[in-house]
Amino acid sequence: MSAQSRGPLITKLTLALVFLLGIALIFQGAAALRENDSAGFSSEAAFEAIYELSKEVDADWNALLKPALSALSDEEAAALNDISAELLRENWSERGAVGTEAFEALDLENDAETVQKLLYISYAVGGPKLSASVKKAAETAGAEIAPALLKAVLDENAPVPEAVTKPVEKLEGTARQAMLMKLYYASLSGSSQLKTASVNEFKKGVRDKALQLDAFRMIASGELTPLRQFILSHARTVILCGVLLSLDALLLAFMMAADRVWRFDIKWLIILAILDFLLVFQLMPLIYTVVKAFFPDSHFSLETFRRLYSYKLNFDALRNTLLASFATMLLGTLFAFPLAWLVGRTNLYGRRFFRSLFVLTYMVPPYVGAMAWLRLLNPNVGTVNHWLRVLLHLSDAPGPLNVYSLPGLIWVLSTFYYPYAFITISRAMEKMDPSLEEASRASGASPLKTLVTVTLPLMTPSLISGALLVFVSAASCYGIPSIIGAPGRVHTVTTRIVEYVSLGQQGINDATGLSVFLLTIAVVILFLSDVVLARKQYITVSGKSVQPALVDLRSWRVPLTALVTLFAVIVILIPFATILFTSFKIDVGKSVLRAGNFTLGNWKTIFGRAETLHCLKNSLLYATITATVGIVIACTMSYLLQRTRIRGRKIPDFLITLGSGTPSVVIALSLIMTMKGNFGINIYNTAYIMIIAYLIKYLMMGMRTVVSAMSQIHVSLEESSQISGASWLRTMYRITGRLIFPSIAAGWFLIFIPSFYELSMTTLLYSSNTKTIGFQLYEYWTFTSQPMACAMAFGILMFVMLLNFLLGRLTKGAFSI
Amino acid sequence: MIQITNLTKSFDGVPVLKTFNATFADGEFITLLGPSGCGKTTILRMIAGFEIPTTGEICLDGKLVSGGKTFLPPEKRDIGMVFQSYAVWPHMNVFDNVAYPLEIKHVPKDEIKTRVEEMLATVHLSQYADRLPSQLSGGQQQRIALARALVAKPKILLLDEPLSNLDAKLRETMRFEIRDITRERGIGVVYVTHDQTEAMAMSDRIFLINDGVIQQSGTPEEIYNNPVNPFVADFLGKVDFFPGTAAEGEITIPSWGVSIPSATERRGAVIVAIRPENIRLSKSNGGITGTITRMTYLGDVTDCRVQVGESIVRAVEDGDFRRHFKANDTVTVAVREFMVFPDDGSTQEQLQIRT
Repeated sequence: MSAQSRGPLITKLTLALVFLLGIALIFQGAAALRENDSAGFSSEAAFEAIYELSKEVDADWNALLKPALSALSDEEAAALNDISAELLRENWSERGAVGTEAFEALDLENDAETVQKLLYISYAVGGPKLSASVKKAAETAGAEIAPALLKAVLDENAPVPEAVTKPVEKLEGTARQAMLMKLYYASLSGSSQLKTASVNEFKKGVRDKALQLDAFRMIASGELTPLRQFILSHARTVILCGVLLSLDALLLAFMMAADRVWRFDIKWLIILAILDFLLVFQLMPLIYTVVKAFFPDSHFSLETFRRLYSYKLNFDALRNTLLASFATMLLGTLFAFPLAWLVGRTNLYGRRFFRSLFVLTYMVPPYVGAMAWLRLLNPNVGTVNHWLRVLLHLSDAPGPLNVYSLPGLIWVLSTFYYPYAFITISRAMEKMDPSLEEASRASGASPLKTLVTVTLPLMTPSLISGALLVFVSAASCYGIPSIIGAPGRVHTVTTRIVEYVSLGQQGINDATGLSVFLLTIAVVILFLSDVVLARKQYITVSGKSVQPALVDLRSWRVPLTALVTLFAVIVILIPFATILFTSFKIDVGKSVLRAGNFTLGNWKTIFGRAETLHCLKNSLLYATITATVGIVIACTMSYLLQRTRIRGRKIPDFLITLGSGTPSVVIALSLIMTMKGNFGINIYNTAYIMIIAYLIKYLMMGMRTVVSAMSQIHVSLEESSQISGASWLRTMYRITGRLIFPSIAAGWFLIFIPSFYELSMTTLLYSSNTKTIGFQLYEYWTFTSQPMACAMAFGILMFVMLLNFLLGRLTKGAFSI
Repeated sequence: MIQITNLTKSFDGVPVLKTFNATFADGEFITLLGPSGCGKTTILRMIAGFEIPTTGEICLDGKLVSGGKTFLPPEKRDIGMVFQSYAVWPHMNVFDNVAYPLEIKHVPKDEIKTRVEEMLATVHLSQYADRLPSQLSGGQQQRIALARALVAKPKILLLDEPLSNLDAKLRETMRFEIRDITRERGIGVVYVTHDQTEAMAMSDRIFLINDGVIQQSGTPEEIYNNPVNPFVADFLGKVDFFPGTAAEGEITIPSWGVSIPSATERRGAVIVAIRPENIRLSKSNGGITGTITRMTYLGDVTDCRVQVGESIVRAVEDGDFRRHFKANDTVTVAVREFMVFPDDGSTQEQLQIRT
């Protein structure tokens, strides 16, 4: 019994200790921050430099100065000490009264080491200036001339070695001694002299003369321990760790108290790890972004919003975003519902083919669609406009259609986002119990009557949910408006945010105001579709489902099939063909069939460039890392959600859902604002920040796929393996893993594909070394050559198709989009 | 042998099993019977090791597997188990499903083959060894599960409502198959069901559980004939309850308006419980009389409802009863046997099955 009661006690004590450690870290970090501030050191890097210098000075003292000085006789040593102290006083007094005062405060009696170290470091940072050539000469002559130089310091009449006579010639008194001393140090230390990098860093970080003197003392006395140095120079990171640690301890304590089980469980630690990741990289940045919008100068003010929305361009962008999203939602749902019904519930010809065709659009990068429609509907050279003018006998003037307009934007958004509604609705249709419709037919209702009175009402939740998904996706889309809107001056909130961010700090602050707007839309819609409607309405990959009875279209079968085919040709075939044809053009304005206008050169050029290959490599690498890390988290979360009753497992689930609902540009912006060291983490301009952004945005795709697969597997399948004697690991490998492998593969691809061609976040987060293929494509389109961009786009498209094909193969046809 | 001492289980602070004590002998066929949600499956899962007891101990063959700081995971307990949902792995064929426990025990390939084939022959599935489970019927899948549970020769077999997904005819055959196979091998069985007929037909001993408490345990006969409370009487077989007053030598049933002779030693308010098969109806010849209100022909028997005073009494008569009587006939009602429970006013509450 006592052993039993001791377990919880130990757990509680450990938790309390961890909590206290966290608090201690917070206090240490805060104290360090205060010290940084009060010390006046302009950067935390200064502490790092001080620490580095103290180590170097120590090393030089032991290796060079100490042996050299110990060779002196006692009288010489005493004399040198006096001279050195005098030189130090002289050197410091150059820094004004503070210097003299600081010198007087020193207790230098018989402390040769401190004096020498102080002098050494003082000269290194600001002492007598040595020209590079002299310094080099002294270093080259090396230890040979050192004794002579020391003699010259002690005895004014002693000869100065030939190599370094020049700088001393015209000097007298202490100035001469100082110079000789400096030369002495240089000759002694040779190449191991204090690294200029640390010295520069020191000077940059500690500009104030008085503070420099303090720092010298710190260096000479070695009072900066490694730990202290670390805390001082990583104050923010230390605080962050402290906050997380104490938060984790508290959470764990709450969970354990609620369960009344005081035992450490690895599952909790995993949950906490995932939670911490999401807190730091997702929630904190988002909250900071919102806070920054309302507290631009650390107190509450609506100035940001006033400034933003008094500017007509922003106001238009806001209006455009709302209008375009709303219209896209209506148009997209209008496409999606009849298509979903025809493809899912009727005997339309080729319904399976059409189904995969419509879902396919889901995997196409949005900007590729925009490029295609731009080629087709350009008011001057657009192919469609050309034919319309011929057919309608219009003059050669621009038009009649213009893609660079709000309707143009709506059209392209709709053709790209209707699959979101299509997938949601057709999944619900396939899942619907067919006997519900059969009961209606048995009651005497016609197929049409059944559609209106039974099917449609039953579909309403998924219809609304699909429509909302289209709305929020359209509102947060950047790729399409950036290509269509920019030349047409049709701005949207996302394009404005990207423009603001490129303006620098003030721009970033202003962008937060716009982000709050987008974020509000996203959160409201997320709430609507997630809480008010059923939770299941998310897009996931289709699994197998029961085959419901099909409605016989009878005489309508042929005309409706023709109509659906026409839709597919307009929305899918023509745009893709346009991209392909354009990629072979020399002159964009002329038909590819015109003699002399066909070339393979665009393909050769673009895929022959080292830069393209570099970007391609980046994209593949980042997408692979994102997908792999993502699927590991997804599998872990699925296990926790489906197989455990662990408290708090819903919190990361909620955060992951929130992350995927957050508009891409907002995620990127929030990361830019918080990941540059101001919160203890500096990954700005690195690949990490991009991978993290992709993870936050696309993790849910993978997670939902694995979760739904796992929910299909009855627990007893695992339990019967366990009862057969298999360990947990073996059960996971032989039973669960095998059964959900197709979904794991599908989940991996679902994270990989969008990460591979991502544009919106990359635009904000890339650096010259971390450009990706999507961004390069955008650059080519905008600045270089449209045919080359088209070649690249088609290449990406083919790659995605190939992956999709592989996925189908890998999962024996159970999954593919 | 399974020894269970002071076992309890709560989920989120809600008790689902209150103090359970029992010893199951080697080779004994034990049935845990009770309405759904009564805690019987929880007991089974604690024996298997899928649930950790809140308090109490479980010993298998004298070895502590749950209790105090000890907890042996299911894979270490050498138990066979059959699940309600069959839990046959869809990605393995019949042979591989059954071979799995032996593979884990690193039994040599040849031996696996002979043992699995022998096991499949026992459950009449030899010709399906290469099929995938999805190609087989529910009954066949359940037999795969049974073969898999038995192939490693466990000393204990746990069955969690294994027959509830099968149709009535198949259920009856499987009952005897399970019974015969386990008895032949001397395997101790813990069988969970809510079906009283199954429990009666198969068990050496029944534990009747309601609301997390054992109501009664004993052989099927003991429980059926000597139920300790109205709940047990009601759950096992059919029974009607009538409030009455017991006095020396007789019990008065007010709703019937008569007294019936009784040797009960109880006095005062009682509940009289009568099983329909213990009521005999005959041509009206005095004694307690009633009127037939409805007769339902069930082939082998006829289910009758008789109005006696203000009460409706159920009686089971032969199949050809209809030839001699018709509705609205007045009959004499003879009570051959009945049970008497004290009436503490809680009978109705007891009979309500809480889930």
